[in-house]
Amino acid sequence: MTSTLDAPTRTVRRWRGRDAWCALAGVVSLALAVGAASTVSVPVNSDLGLVALLPYPFWAGLLLLNIAFVVALRGDAAGPARRSVMIWLIVVLVLVLFGTAAFVTDVPRGEVAFRHLGIADALSRTKGIDPDIDAYFNWPGFFALLATLLGATGLDPVTVALWAPVFNVGLWLMAVAVLTGYLTRDRRRRWLALWIFCLGNWQDQDYLSPQAFGFFLHLVVIALVVGPLAARLPEFRGFKRAALVSWWRRRSAAERRPGHRVGALAVILLLVTAICASHQLTPFMLLIAITALTLSGRVWPSRLPLIIAVVLMFWLVYPASAYLVGHPPLADAGLQLATDANVVDRVSGSAGHVLVVQIRVVLTIVLWALAAVGAVRDWRRGRLDIRVVLLAVTPILLFPAQSYGGEMLIRVSLFALPFIALQACSVLLPAEGSTRPSSRRAVYLALTCFLLALLAVTGRFGNAKYDVFTDGEIDAVAAVQEVAPTGSAIISAANPTPWRSEAYLEHRYRTISNLCLSDLTTATCGPIVYDYARHNAAGAVVILTRSSEASLVLQGTSSARELAELEEWLSVQDGVELVYSNADARAYRVTP
Amino acid sequence: MNGVSRATLALGLAAVALSLATLAGLPTPLQAVAAIAVLVVLPGQALVRLIQVTDVALGALLVLALGLATLTAVSTAMFYLAVWSWQACVVTMGVITVLACTARARREATS
Repeated sequence: MTSTLDAPTRTVRRWRGRDAWCALAGVVSLALAVGAASTVSVPVNSDLGLVALLPYPFWAGLLLLNIAFVVALRGDAAGPARRSVMIWLIVVLVLVLFGTAAFVTDVPRGEVAFRHLGIADALSRTKGIDPDIDAYFNWPGFFALLATLLGATGLDPVTVALWAPVFNVGLWLMAVAVLTGYLTRDRRRRWLALWIFCLGNWQDQDYLSPQAFGFFLHLVVIALVVGPLAARLPEFRGFKRAALVSWWRRRSAAERRPGHRVGALAVILLLVTAICASHQLTPFMLLIAITALTLSGRVWPSRLPLIIAVVLMFWLVYPASAYLVGHPPLADAGLQLATDANVVDRVSGSAGHVLVVQIRVVLTIVLWALAAVGAVRDWRRGRLDIRVVLLAVTPILLFPAQSYGGEMLIRVSLFALPFIALQACSVLLPAEGSTRPSSRRAVYLALTCFLLALLAVTGRFGNAKYDVFTDGEIDAVAAVQEVAPTGSAIISAANPTPWRSEAYLEHRYRTISNLCLSDLTTATCGPIVYDYARHNAAGAVVILTRSSEASLVLQGTSSARELAELEEWLSVQDGVELVYSNADARAYRVTP
Repeated sequence: MNGVSRATLALGLAAVALSLATLAGLPTPLQAVAAIAVLVVLPGQALVRLIQVTDVALGALLVLALGLATLTAVSTAMFYLAVWSWQACVVTMGVITVLACTARARREATS
């Protein structure tokens, strides 16, 4: 078993020529990638997303970076390159993979980041929490944190949202680094696990969100559980009841100082409270992971799952009760329902979009396959760490429990990723632990990493046609906020609209795709939207942006012609007036 | 203050000074640095010193995690009690830091 509970030892090494060249290669890679990304102009008009527009120096930079990393990882007989070089290369990878969009445009990617800014803004204006508003106000922890940080720092909220992916991935990597430090002594394995964690991170959950924050705290709790709160196991003597009872009772705490264990437990209690207050899904992921680890005998405080369950239940039955009354937790449970929402419904749309979705699936399957082969290989050598396997597999248990708006599979792959990455290293590195990879293996490894990077960039930025907004769309939303009276409805074609970052509570925000569900033909959908707008006492503003329409076309919900017909029909109805127009958006006021 | 380490003293004094500076207002980049220090880093560091983490990497991670989680708990509680303002959060986090430093100082003085 690869297991350690001691703090990783530091190796003091002199700078060598190879280290300097690797660090320099990192600088060149960053310059190439940033320079290339900054030449891309928005809007992104390819169904494949950003990958189709990034010029070849970006890919040259990415290739060079992966080669530099593998050379640094290979190092020499004493181990990989200096710690500072390895950290620098990972920083460059984070900037290249997760900061690319920020080098393309000053506008944060994705609609949800704008919405989250709006919720924090609404909280800071009302200075209280009304749980009847929507689900976010039943789990307000992250938004309370965001409101406080934005108020106290005076930072521009849009800039914070723009760079949030880089910041969040940085936090995650810190936690994964500490966590893997407790799971393996092999330094090469730990560095490669961090690299693969970045390359496999296509899920795009690192934007300004409760999920990103919750995932960070989740990783910290897991680190504490496999670190200071781990248990040392006696020899296993079979599954007979008496043998099991004896085995369980003879476990001992890995951390000998009781005060430290109590301190770690207190920290976990605080972190679990913050997680429960911030995000719906993460506490359940944490609960099943800790329960599985505890049942395997690897956790010393065996009542920890109970403590987490009590905090979670308290949050659900009291602060989040308003939401749960109308949304029972297992209302949309079931494997068939989850499969339809997470797989079938997502693999549809234009040929380019379907290809991007398939690439995401391929990337996930490749990593899981590598991890599975690595687990078998470790098992045959008697080195399989059951903790890594449990932490990789337990998130799957939640898949049939909730469709989670069709995003459960994405969350499952995210929560499993650190452990999948670590287990995959068993295949990518030599079988003999801590052995320097051969030149041939290093070449294969560099090519594998570059291929994964290619897939990750494609998968991650595959929705750029509709989640990278133009200045014109931002201007249009600002104009709509000005002309829309308080209490009016603002109706967009679909969710990818950079709205709700201000006046979150002042308007009713609706989308045509939600009002009309699957039928967006003018004959059916036109009257529904028009009636909804006219029957709103304060009227409505219909905003049609390039990105929202692109999302409907790309995902196969509608066609450009159908949307043009719908707009034309709407524009000639009584009480409908064009109030704003630019190259990327039109806004129509509908008087009641 | 016999037996109290300089680090504990410096942490407590920094929390008081930076809280006051943040409340008074500083030019934009300095305000951000001071606010992040007083809201996240200093309370996180003070709390980590209470549990005496020996692993440097785990300690650094817990500084951020504890700082962010404590600020989340404080901010959320203030919103539920309808007494939130970012200034109140700054004061509360400053007080938490000073209290954690006091507890640490008492431990240092008796050890």
